[in-house]
Amino acid sequence: MNAAEIKSRLVENAAVIYPGIYLNQLRGESIETQCQELLAGGIRNIVINFEETELINSIGISILLGVIESVNHSRGTLVLSNLNASNRELFEMLGLMSHVEMLDTEEVALAKVSGRVETVM
Amino acid sequence: MPDCKPTQILSRLSAQDCIKRAAELSKISGSDEVDSRSAHRVVMLLGSRGVGKTELLRQCFDDAFSASGDTVPFFYAFGPSFAEPSSLARDYFSQALAQFIAFRRSDPTLIDIADEPLAVIARAAPAEDYLHVRSFVDSFTRAAESGDAVLAGRCAKSAPPKLAAQVGLRSLVMIDDAHLISDSEFRSEFLCALAGNAVAINVSARYVLTGRQRELTRLIGNEQRLLDSLEIIHVEQVNEDHLKPLLLRRAESLDIETNDSTIELMIEQLRGDPFYSRAIIDAAAARGSLKTFIEFERLYANELRRGRIGHYFDAMLGEAAPEPGSARAALEALQLIVEAGSQVPIDTVTERIAEHISDPQALLARMHSRELLDLTLGFASASPDNVLSDYVRVKYAKEIAGAATPMAGDELLSEKLKQSYALMMSRYNRAIESQLTQLLIRFDSQSVPASLFDQESHEKRYRGMSRVTVRRALDEEPERVRLPQIVVLNDVGSGKQPGVTWQLLAASGFEGGVYTDANEVVWLIALINSKEPVDLESLGRIDQRIEQSLRAYAARQSAPQCVRWYISKEGFSAIAHERLSSLRAYRSTFAHLDLIQDHLTKLALEVERRPATEFELVIPIEGEAELIAARTAEQIARAADFDTESINQIKTALIEACINAAEHGESPDGKIYQRFAIDEEKLIITVFNKGKTFGWASGQSTPSVAAQPVKGARGRGLQIIRALMDEVTFDRTDDGSRLVMVKYLKRPGNQ
Repeated sequence: MNAAEIKSRLVENAAVIYPGIYLNQLRGESIETQCQELLAGGIRNIVINFEETELINSIGISILLGVIESVNHSRGTLVLSNLNASNRELFEMLGLMSHVEMLDTEEVALAKVSGRVETVM
Repeated sequence: MPDCKPTQILSRLSAQDCIKRAAELSKISGSDEVDSRSAHRVVMLLGSRGVGKTELLRQCFDDAFSASGDTVPFFYAFGPSFAEPSSLARDYFSQALAQFIAFRRSDPTLIDIADEPLAVIARAAPAEDYLHVRSFVDSFTRAAESGDAVLAGRCAKSAPPKLAAQVGLRSLVMIDDAHLISDSEFRSEFLCALAGNAVAINVSARYVLTGRQRELTRLIGNEQRLLDSLEIIHVEQVNEDHLKPLLLRRAESLDIETNDSTIELMIEQLRGDPFYSRAIIDAAAARGSLKTFIEFERLYANELRRGRIGHYFDAMLGEAAPEPGSARAALEALQLIVEAGSQVPIDTVTERIAEHISDPQALLARMHSRELLDLTLGFASASPDNVLSDYVRVKYAKEIAGAATPMAGDELLSEKLKQSYALMMSRYNRAIESQLTQLLIRFDSQSVPASLFDQESHEKRYRGMSRVTVRRALDEEPERVRLPQIVVLNDVGSGKQPGVTWQLLAASGFEGGVYTDANEVVWLIALINSKEPVDLESLGRIDQRIEQSLRAYAARQSAPQCVRWYISKEGFSAIAHERLSSLRAYRSTFAHLDLIQDHLTKLALEVERRPATEFELVIPIEGEAELIAARTAEQIARAADFDTESINQIKTALIEACINAAEHGESPDGKIYQRFAIDEEKLIITVFNKGKTFGWASGQSTPSVAAQPVKGARGRGLQIIRALMDEVTFDRTDDGSRLVMVKYLKRPGNQ
């Protein structure tokens, strides 16, 4: 299976990753690879923006949990943003809230990972 | 069933007394055959003595006659009085002519002109038929006057189909007592006519023969041409569900007071025979009452001695044993066999009757053909007709043994009264056993409320509730028992002790519909009828037999799992219940059987109830094909007025179902099938594959998520599906698995 192309951008000392319309195994693995590269390159603050993400499947979630663990292990910060109601419900149902912070917008998330603002969840 | 025939012409039963047998009538007339030209044209109607074959033919005649359609009915009953072929031919021809004319003129009274001279009969024909009717009469008259009986017979036999064919109609020729042609010269000619008809292309006729079944089958013998086109219809005894209301109606019409249990006893004791039953009811008319068992048994004893039933058997014996001395021999033979209660070597019987008759073998053969006894492979046994056995006892005691007549009362009456309670009990046991059997056959991996298999738990939950309330509450019960799929049911014995009878059954099948040794299961079932809750002592006796069966199954090379299920009419004593609980046995009452039956019926109806709109989608197991499924679901759900949140939930659940089917399905065709069904209140999505086990852990009969929360991606998938959809069920299909997900529309009043 070919790796899926995942958009991302660097903002100062942080990176923003855009999983795209459907977070499945293919895209999850691409995100995982990108995160590992970012961590290896010294970027420890990562935001995953789900604004375009319409659907997330359980394999994608499993991989995301692995990513969260890797970032935490590297003493980095990972924040999820722009989740629609359904995806947020899904994450809540599967208990991801206790592992990762979810914020409403990318800007707030970037401010959070940069240590510039306090957030209210 | 449709109503009885509109006009009673040949039928001996009025519409009120008519036993409705629409299926048999349709088979006899051939009206249920798609192509009458290629259908069997010779039909043999077989059934035991008194089952109603003649009446069926008569009703069939009446139906066809009243319909005035394209079928001309002809009914003829052979009788011993026409042994001489030319007389037989003349009678057969006259009847054919009269019935044809009656049919053409829609006037059943013209059937009776058959006894008139042929010229008179012909003159009754309608004007448009007169010429060819006259020509038939002339042809027959010439044949008869030539003195050639064979020619006259041939002319007579061909008359019904040819008369009908002349006016463009088909013929339905019904021959009763056809066994009586076996000894006449008419036989071979008649068989030739039948066989010729079977292969004839231009004559559209259907022949239906009935009579004594043992002689009839001999009559056909090995006539190959006939056998090739022969259709056999077996007439069974009238169903009790039809007979009981018929008898109650007849009693009411005769102003006889009766009740259900006496009528049920009568049906049981008389084996549902309409003739015997009517004889008893008619006899009761003089007293005006048939309310108690003793009234019935008294009438029964009288009927055997002096009534219609006795006369009927007297006549049958007289036919079978007409020679001097042979009547006694016949009665001796019957008495010997009836008293033996089992098979008796034929030599023993012939030895017993040899002093009364010169050819005992011939007598026994005649009795066999009249179904007075059964001769099989060198043995003689009694007819299954208990009424005949009672008649034999009474007749033998009176006429041969010379038993003293009681000053008052009746020994048979005393005996029958003693048997009546046991008879009704065995009837009740049979009914409940039949209910259980029917229920077990329906076991097909359904989930049913667990309390129906645990009497104590059921009582705790539902004590004091009405049956309707219990039914509703059962639907909400979270604990379930997954039934096996039953494929074989065996009787493994029975037993009784004072106040308790039990029947043991072994129901073998598979759990989860997975046909492997590991999933093979046997339910050992004790069906217990007792007046009190089953106590430990009775349970111990029943268990002895169950343990034997368990040991037998355990000794098999691949021993199946064994499940015990005890079903008691009155439940179990506390201590017996405790013991069953320690054995991890299911324990139910008869009332629970009804509830299980209701539940299975409800499940079946839910499956059958098809929604108004259905869509189907097949996607390949590749790439991101599940997205196509999700898009399809979105469109369908949107059209069905689901809100955005529900639509997203449906899509997510469907994605998970597809992934599950793709990952675990081991699908040989690499496809996932989906069906979307919408009705007023819900969307049902069925996802299925042709793989082995999707949604099920290997070797388990129930989905793993049902038992405990799971970890890992696939466990999450099922967890997601269950959380997002309102109902989720997994089923095995013969070649794969099926996941059914239901989402309800959140409309006001539909929460």
